[in-house]
Amino acid sequence: MSRQERAAWLFAGPVLAAIAAMLVLPVALALLLGLTDYSIYALADLKNLRFVGLANFTELLATPLFWRALGNTALFAALGVPMAIGASLAAALLLHDATVRWKPLWRVALFAPYVTSVVATAIVWRFVLNTRFGLLNSALGAAGIGPVDWLGDPRASIPAILLFVTWKIFGYNMIVFTAALSAVPGELMEAARLDGASRWGRFRHVTLPAIGPTLLLAAVMSVAGFLQLFAEPYVMTMGGPAQSTVTVLYFMFDEGFRWWNLGQASATALILFVLILGVTAVQARIGRRYQWL
Amino acid sequence: MAVRRRTLRAIVANGAVAALTAVTLVPLVWMVTVSFMPRGSSSQVPVPFWPDRWSIENYYELLVRRQFEGAWFDYRILPALLNSIGVAAIATLLGLLLTVPAGYAFAKLRFRGRERLLKLLIAALVVPGQVAMLPLFLMFKELGLVNSYAGVILPGLAGVFAVLFVRQAVLAIPDEMLDAARIDGAGEGRIFVSIVLPLIAPITVTLALFIFLGSWNDFLWPLIILSDQERYTLPVAVAAIMREHAADGELMMAASVVTTLPVLLIFLPLQRFYIGGLLGGSVKG
Amino acid sequence: MCDLPPCPDGPFRQPALIALDRRTMLGGAAALTLTACARARESGALRFWATGYEGDYSPHLMVPFTAATGIEVETQSVPSTAAHEKFLTAFAGGVLPDVFMLPSGWVGEFAMIGAVAPVPSPALVADTLPAARAIAQVGGRDYAVPWAIAPQVQFYRRDLLGAAGYDAPPTDWAGWLRMGSALKGRRPGEFVFLALLNWPDTLFSMLYQAGATLLRDRDTRGNFRTDEAREAFAFYKSLFDEGLAPKVLSTEVQDPYAAFAQGRFAVWPSWPTLLLDLHRRAAELPRERWGVARLAGPNGPGPATMVANSLCVASTCERPAEAWALVRHLSSAASELRFQSLIGNLPARASAWDAPQMADPVLAPFAEQMRQPAIAPPVVEWERIQNEVQLVAERMVRGGLSIDEALAAIDTRIDRILAKRRALVEAGRIA
Repeated sequence: MSRQERAAWLFAGPVLAAIAAMLVLPVALALLLGLTDYSIYALADLKNLRFVGLANFTELLATPLFWRALGNTALFAALGVPMAIGASLAAALLLHDATVRWKPLWRVALFAPYVTSVVATAIVWRFVLNTRFGLLNSALGAAGIGPVDWLGDPRASIPAILLFVTWKIFGYNMIVFTAALSAVPGELMEAARLDGASRWGRFRHVTLPAIGPTLLLAAVMSVAGFLQLFAEPYVMTMGGPAQSTVTVLYFMFDEGFRWWNLGQASATALILFVLILGVTAVQARIGRRYQWL
Repeated sequence: MAVRRRTLRAIVANGAVAALTAVTLVPLVWMVTVSFMPRGSSSQVPVPFWPDRWSIENYYELLVRRQFEGAWFDYRILPALLNSIGVAAIATLLGLLLTVPAGYAFAKLRFRGRERLLKLLIAALVVPGQVAMLPLFLMFKELGLVNSYAGVILPGLAGVFAVLFVRQAVLAIPDEMLDAARIDGAGEGRIFVSIVLPLIAPITVTLALFIFLGSWNDFLWPLIILSDQERYTLPVAVAAIMREHAADGELMMAASVVTTLPVLLIFLPLQRFYIGGLLGGSVKG
Repeated sequence: MCDLPPCPDGPFRQPALIALDRRTMLGGAAALTLTACARARESGALRFWATGYEGDYSPHLMVPFTAATGIEVETQSVPSTAAHEKFLTAFAGGVLPDVFMLPSGWVGEFAMIGAVAPVPSPALVADTLPAARAIAQVGGRDYAVPWAIAPQVQFYRRDLLGAAGYDAPPTDWAGWLRMGSALKGRRPGEFVFLALLNWPDTLFSMLYQAGATLLRDRDTRGNFRTDEAREAFAFYKSLFDEGLAPKVLSTEVQDPYAAFAQGRFAVWPSWPTLLLDLHRRAAELPRERWGVARLAGPNGPGPATMVANSLCVASTCERPAEAWALVRHLSSAASELRFQSLIGNLPARASAWDAPQMADPVLAPFAEQMRQPAIAPPVVEWERIQNEVQLVAERMVRGGLSIDEALAAIDTRIDRILAKRRALVEAGRIA
């Protein structure tokens, strides 16, 4: 072993050990746990523990609430990703305009919600969204729109939580897009303008291809993020109303740490893992097709 | 004419940005104003935005330990604040110690298996931490780490993203600089400390902010692993109060302020490192 | 202003008994633990967990205990909606506190997993009301000492009912509904009843009152497709269908006390702890405007949900003598009476009921209801089953399911939850 190699292992060894102990090993154990019927009875007496093969998975697939959680999560992602990415892009484009002054100031202000704690701001938003005493309904009321039962109507609860999530995270991708926009070649833009391309045409044919890879990456990470939604429903709705905000992760927490069905919960976690892997792979493939990545 | 159009456009664009910012900040400002309202006075129609009378009773109740008929009453927010600061600070320090040298090693030091490990790290990036939580709890139980600060901090040290983040920054350092130092007889440790570290100092600050904020705002894992309120971090403590005191809107807003303010105080002076880190040096002012 | 700690000087207070508490009860506790005292100081405070108002107010009960024994007690108030997972997770992690409070339905569960130690001496439970004691027993053995009892009753707005011609709520369901329609007719914009859609207690009271047997086959399968359960569900649903109860969750009702005071609903099925809330907020709703009565049943009052909060000592507790001394102190007649005056919940100790404070007429409906408690099936999955039943009922109320579909869905869900228990029962591993 060369000196450099020794140093490299000294430098990288500790974190690799931490990753092995706290990520790789538990994930492997999760696989094993997902094949057992670890439940409250096993907690009482390990003799009640059995290997059940894939029974947890087949049972999960036959559990309506699991499908509901999956459906809710899919809905969160399907609505939330366009909403959040759209808001980020809109804010970034607005800030990118050459006439806007004090850009760093706006950037920091718009970014501020991102650094706050989810729990604290979810509490604030629970009050913002309150049907009678909430800011949102009082603003809507001033515009003549009747009170919406944001967190109490099963049809409004997901949009309500998404409003909060979008508010909280759009600043992050706004900054990412700002960086991408500033890398759009100015000459290309100028040439398109001279060719008489409309504003939309310039956006469609110059800006969008240039920031495409960034958009894709942001979308990948947003989908992964939305699949892992937990604290928002935990603090704002406890999964309700009518279980309309139970997400896969919320379901896992309930099964695992509320009812101690660790077998089922591990199976759920692994399915979530596969889903995230799948989404990432699909998006990477799309990216390759359009030669963004 | 062109000048007038430009002026008009500037007014519209600046106005739109200002409006967007105002809408974004309204919930945060409302959080602060409601937290200073007397108890019960925010539940009114029309919804008040500004207190009629500024009151610190919510903060007093939340933060000050009070004696009542010989018994102590305490929401234990101050201990939680200290816990959060301590946990986030240690997590940041250890995180940097572990990941910054590793990121450098993956970028610039040749060792067997480097490329394969790198591929594995990139693959590990998509593993959701929640998959590991259930077995981790059982492992930590065996190790006696349940309900301990170490139990909160340790899982965060598996900083896959941080290693790759540092590696990306170190790649920009020219090899010649390091080779020149090697020819001069400098050891690898010395090269790292006196050449690499100063060059990546800004990115280290960025990473430190990432880790600190991540640890400060972490919720699910501390919720699971901590059982004594004396050891609660702020989000866990505040969520626990929320479950019982949802009716006390003003009190909860004060709790939210206490949870949010410290990160904003840390973030604002350092924001250029954070936002700058995201911008990757591509945007000026 | 009445901030926490609240100022409950009022109708529920008995200072003389507190003095008695200090002198007599603690003398015994002190003697019992004299030997353990020295060690207690070395190893720090006893850890005690309780939920709800029991958790918030038990520091008051600790002061005389610490004074008499020198043992410090560190009290932790656990939010009741997160208590089950908190306790189970603490057990799984091996970090349960020395002494903790369990609601009645959980004692069997925690005894089965070996989390709680059996009560070492029959003297600790000798004076307990029989109904409360039965709830804390598993297989004829005492696993917890009943402490603060909360039978479900109805609180009603005397003035609003009076305006509609009622002195008190009718005691049968049909009359209750008629009263509801009368109140709704007078004030169509408001509601009459409050039954939160994520809290199962009211629905289960109705099931018990209708006489439903909720599990069958040695408690291994759901038994909701019965006439009794159908009757209870139909009645529950009608409250919402006719606009008498709002379709809301606890997370939506920001301040139910204010809503009650403002007359947004007139009848509130709730617990004795509401006495404390109403007392604290007497400025919003004066005492003469509300009353308490037993819940209506199909043909008059019947058994209703009763929460008996009991005290347990962890099986892992390293200082059992001190822990049981604390239990003895907390469950003494004097402590329970003081607690009653503080938070409203009723003493589990039979002799405490002779005290003058228990003669307060407002407590009479509670006392009557306590003589007719409903006993939940003794399965460890009960907490979860209650949750599932309520979730299905919520969907039914919101129009997603018919009554029969709901009952069938509940049986399916319960059968799935009890699958493991069924397998163990069939294998003869548990009774």
